[in-house]
Amino acid sequence: MNGPDTDEELLIRIHSGDEQAFVSLYRKRQAAIFRFALHMSGSEAVAEDITQEVFLAVIRDGCGFDPARGTLSGYLYGIARKLMLRHLERGRLDVTLESDLEATALPELAVDDDPLVELTHREGLEALRRAVLALPRRYREVVVLCDLEEVDYAEAAVVLGRPIGTVRSRLHRARALLLEKLTKERHTRPAVETLKPVRCMV
Amino acid sequence: MNCRGFWEQEPGGLDHLNVDHLNECPACAASYGRHGELAWRLRVLGAEMRHVAAPARVEKKLLAAFRSQSGFAPTPRRMGWAAPAVWAAAVAATVLAGFVLFHSQQPQPGHRINGRKTIELAAVNPADSADPAAAFAEGYEDFIPLPNAERIAPNEQVNMVRVEVLRSAMIPLGYAVSEEHASDTVEADVVLGADGQARAVRFLGEATNF
Repeated sequence: MNGPDTDEELLIRIHSGDEQAFVSLYRKRQAAIFRFALHMSGSEAVAEDITQEVFLAVIRDGCGFDPARGTLSGYLYGIARKLMLRHLERGRLDVTLESDLEATALPELAVDDDPLVELTHREGLEALRRAVLALPRRYREVVVLCDLEEVDYAEAAVVLGRPIGTVRSRLHRARALLLEKLTKERHTRPAVETLKPVRCMV
Repeated sequence: MNCRGFWEQEPGGLDHLNVDHLNECPACAASYGRHGELAWRLRVLGAEMRHVAAPARVEKKLLAAFRSQSGFAPTPRRMGWAAPAVWAAAVAATVLAGFVLFHSQQPQPGHRINGRKTIELAAVNPADSADPAAAFAEGYEDFIPLPNAERIAPNEQVNMVRVEVLRSAMIPLGYAVSEEHASDTVEADVVLGADGQARAVRFLGEATNF
C-alpha cells in the first residue's frame, strides 16, 4: 500500500490538472497558512483572503516553487508573508513600535514581578495573544512561526529570507518585548480591577 | 562574563547560551527562566489554536478557480450509486407528474385488475428493452401503456428505469387501491421513449397484493 503523497508529488499532479491532488494539498496545508495570517493580522477576513491568495498562486502553473530552496510548506508561508506585508503596507496597520528596536533593544535583565503569573488561565493566554498581535511585524512573524506554529529555525529563516542567527536574535528580542508588554499590562490593569462595587444606599 | 555579555554571546540563541553565568547572577537566571516559561506558554497558545482553519467557503472558491483554469479539466468523479438514484428520482417525478395529468382519464378497470397476475417479479434488465417496437408486444405484455402516451416507434431508442411511486399512482391505471395503502410506495419499471417521456409501466413484486 502506498503512503500519502508528498507535497511535491501533489504539486506535480496539480499542475497536470488533478483536482483531487489540489484538494489534498489544500486540506493538508490550509490551516497553518490561515493561522499564520490570523496571528499576523488579527482578522479572520484578512486571513481568509490571504489563504485564498496563497492557494491561487499554487493553482497557477509555474508558481515558482523550487524544491532545492526549501519545503513547499515554507514556500507557502513565504507567499503568505509577502501578501501580509502588502496588506499591512496598504492598510497601515503596522503602527506598533517598529522603530529601531532591533538595533537598540536589550533583554530585560531584572524584573521585580513576574508577568507570567497572570498567564495561568485562559485570560492569560488571551492577553498573550493580544501582546503577540501588538508586536512590531518583524518580531511578530518570528514568534508566530517559531513559537506558535513551531516551524523550525531553519525553515523560518527561509521563509523570512534571513540567516538563522537573525531568526534566533529576533525571537529572543520578541520574547523580551512580550514580557515587557505583559508587565505593562499587568501594572495598568489593577487600577481598574481594584474598583469594587459598593452597596447602593437609597 | 557580565550580564550584557551573557545575553549577547549568542544573539537570541537561548538554547546555545553559556549557562555558567546563570549560577552567578540571580537576575539573569530569573530572566532566563521567564523567557523559557514564555516560550512554553506561547506553544500552549499555539496548541490551543491548532484547530483553527480556513472556512469551508475558501475551498469552494478555490475549487471553482481550479476548474476555471485553462486546460484544467475537472477530474471525473465516480458517481457510484448517486447517479442512478438521481436519475430514478427525476424519472419518478416525471412519472408522477404524468399520472396526475392523466388522472382524469377513464381507466379500463376490468383489464387492469385482471392484469395483476401478469406482474413480473423478476428484475428488469435494461438490455431487454433493446427492441423498442416490442414494448407492448410479445414478451412485454406485463407493461401497461400509459394513458395518452405515444406508442413506441419501431426504431425508437428506449430506456427502462426502475422507480418508486406512490401506490395511489396505480389507480388511474385501473388498479384498486385501498385508502389505507394509498400512500405506500411501490417499485415500478418505466419505459421511457427517446423523448424522455414515460410510455409504459409495470409494477414489481408484491405491488398489487394489497
